[in-house]
Amino acid sequence: MGKENRNTIFIDEGQVHAIREFPDQQYIMRIEAPKVAAAARPGSFVHVRCDPKIPMRRPISLMRANADAGWVEIYFKVVGDGLAALSDTAIGECVNMLGPIGNGFSPNPESKTQLMIGGGVGIPPMLFLAEHLNSDPNYDWSPVVFMGSESPFPFDLKASKIALNGIPSDATGCLPEMEDCGIPSRLASQQSYEGAHKGFVTDLAAAWLLANPELQASTEIFACGPEQMLHAAAKLASEFGIDAQLCLEEYMACAVGGCAGCAVEVHGPNGASMKRVCVDGPVFKAREIYLQ
Amino acid sequence: MVADGSNKLDPRLTTEFCGLPLASPTVLLSGCVGFGEEYTRIEGFSNTDVGAICLKGTTGKLRHGNSPHRVYETPDGMLNAIGLQNPGVDTVVDTILPDLDFSETRFIANACGSTIEEYVYVTKRFNDSNIDAIEINISCPNVKEGGVSFGNDPDMSARVVEACRNVTTKPLIAKLSPNQTDIAYNASRCIEAGADSLAVINTMMGMAIDIEKRRPIIGNVQGGLSGPAIKPIALLKVKQVYEVARKHNVPIIGQGGICNATDAIEFLLAGATTVGIGTALFYDPLVCIDINRGIGDYLTQHKMASVRQLIGALESP
Repeated sequence: MGKENRNTIFIDEGQVHAIREFPDQQYIMRIEAPKVAAAARPGSFVHVRCDPKIPMRRPISLMRANADAGWVEIYFKVVGDGLAALSDTAIGECVNMLGPIGNGFSPNPESKTQLMIGGGVGIPPMLFLAEHLNSDPNYDWSPVVFMGSESPFPFDLKASKIALNGIPSDATGCLPEMEDCGIPSRLASQQSYEGAHKGFVTDLAAAWLLANPELQASTEIFACGPEQMLHAAAKLASEFGIDAQLCLEEYMACAVGGCAGCAVEVHGPNGASMKRVCVDGPVFKAREIYLQ
Repeated sequence: MVADGSNKLDPRLTTEFCGLPLASPTVLLSGCVGFGEEYTRIEGFSNTDVGAICLKGTTGKLRHGNSPHRVYETPDGMLNAIGLQNPGVDTVVDTILPDLDFSETRFIANACGSTIEEYVYVTKRFNDSNIDAIEINISCPNVKEGGVSFGNDPDMSARVVEACRNVTTKPLIAKLSPNQTDIAYNASRCIEAGADSLAVINTMMGMAIDIEKRRPIIGNVQGGLSGPAIKPIALLKVKQVYEVARKHNVPIIGQGGICNATDAIEFLLAGATTVGIGTALFYDPLVCIDINRGIGDYLTQHKMASVRQLIGALESP
């Protein structure tokens, strides 16, 4: 691979600035990480040492990065000892991370609408991408954001005042982070959360696409979430004949391309091959992952 | 780093391995660092900080490897079953090796196969390249043919080594499996067959189960266990092999769970000439800098002039 990739991943060990806890052991953590923040892109991730006693790192998506202030935000839900230990980190304690890692999303500037579908711990990269596009001075992006979760949403939800065609009437809530900067957003869950459509997040995306036929051809889908949701997003893209980019996750060891422990089957022009989610991804084209 | 703060390695760490001068006894292990460039993505990591790098296991033709999941954390270690994913020896020799900077460190190929003929083909291709040495992987636990099925049989191990010996003049290392009854006997057979060095040990076979799904977690069902969990086993295997290898002046790459300078010094004392670092890189990508520094501190503390004085310097209990 030559030397062109040298010194593109950084090691930061910085203090935890803030932690917010949400129901079902969900956490949003802001951590000082100036080098990671300066190079972070939506879709890239960090490989975090959760606790010195648990030496294997955990790959966690970036939700925000502030290069000027030198911090990153991650969102995680406790699913094992590692993330449980990370959730116990107190403000002022240090967290060691490698990052940013991986190829982020590459939206096509010719697309008119960027349809974002985030599910569970797949929400953060979608939020990062939407905010990133919204602040891009070079293009006039138009993100539309749909989020799904089976745990209470880790945000202070509010009723949306931005109209969206075709959306089920029970989907009234939105993410204030999106609404406040003019990005339309709606929520879905199988649970009965107020303001969230009772159903799948991809149902919201399908309803919006059906109701906006004039925008279908120029829409691009971006998705991150559970495997079933990614599959549904890929199917949706295929049915409407539009491009989709998916952000994958897989168990990882090194996360820098050395061990090939995170490889998944990817379909290219020359047939199937195994690609590393860490450095070849984590973002892949939907048609490379799911043959329709 | 030496006392004056420069980035040059401590000259007392210089060692010799199969006639190759190494700047440090640390060797990055096959399967952990891809084809030699991947870890240089990390700022602060340099190939010049290690004595040698073993490249990813290479077969005669492209191999896709195993289905996910391929890795899983276990207490004090991890399981892996990558399945020798690699682009095939022709691509490695023709397109990957030319991009490596051989002025930074020594590069060791890792040759694998399902048949003796395949091992021979791979070895021959590497022999005609600028690679510094060739490791014969007769102990990969994650492939159905070849690998550990050869390595657990001393006769087959010897046949593979002998066949490869016949087609290369480069230093030849036999990577031994711990999943066998008498590793010292296998070592002696490999030496007789022409191995210049022995790598001790490869991973131990293990598995993990998801009790909710009632399925194996690793796609390949079984995987190789590495990390600190296997260190005491690896250390004993190195000592057992050293009893044989020392008589033939055959150096050992000691490996298995080495995470710090203390671990490394233990392996040197048990008889290793160099120390392999694998899983510890996943914990701390810059661990070799600490290991080099720690060995240097130990030499200072014990008024020793060279790391070579530690090799096999284990006293009786």
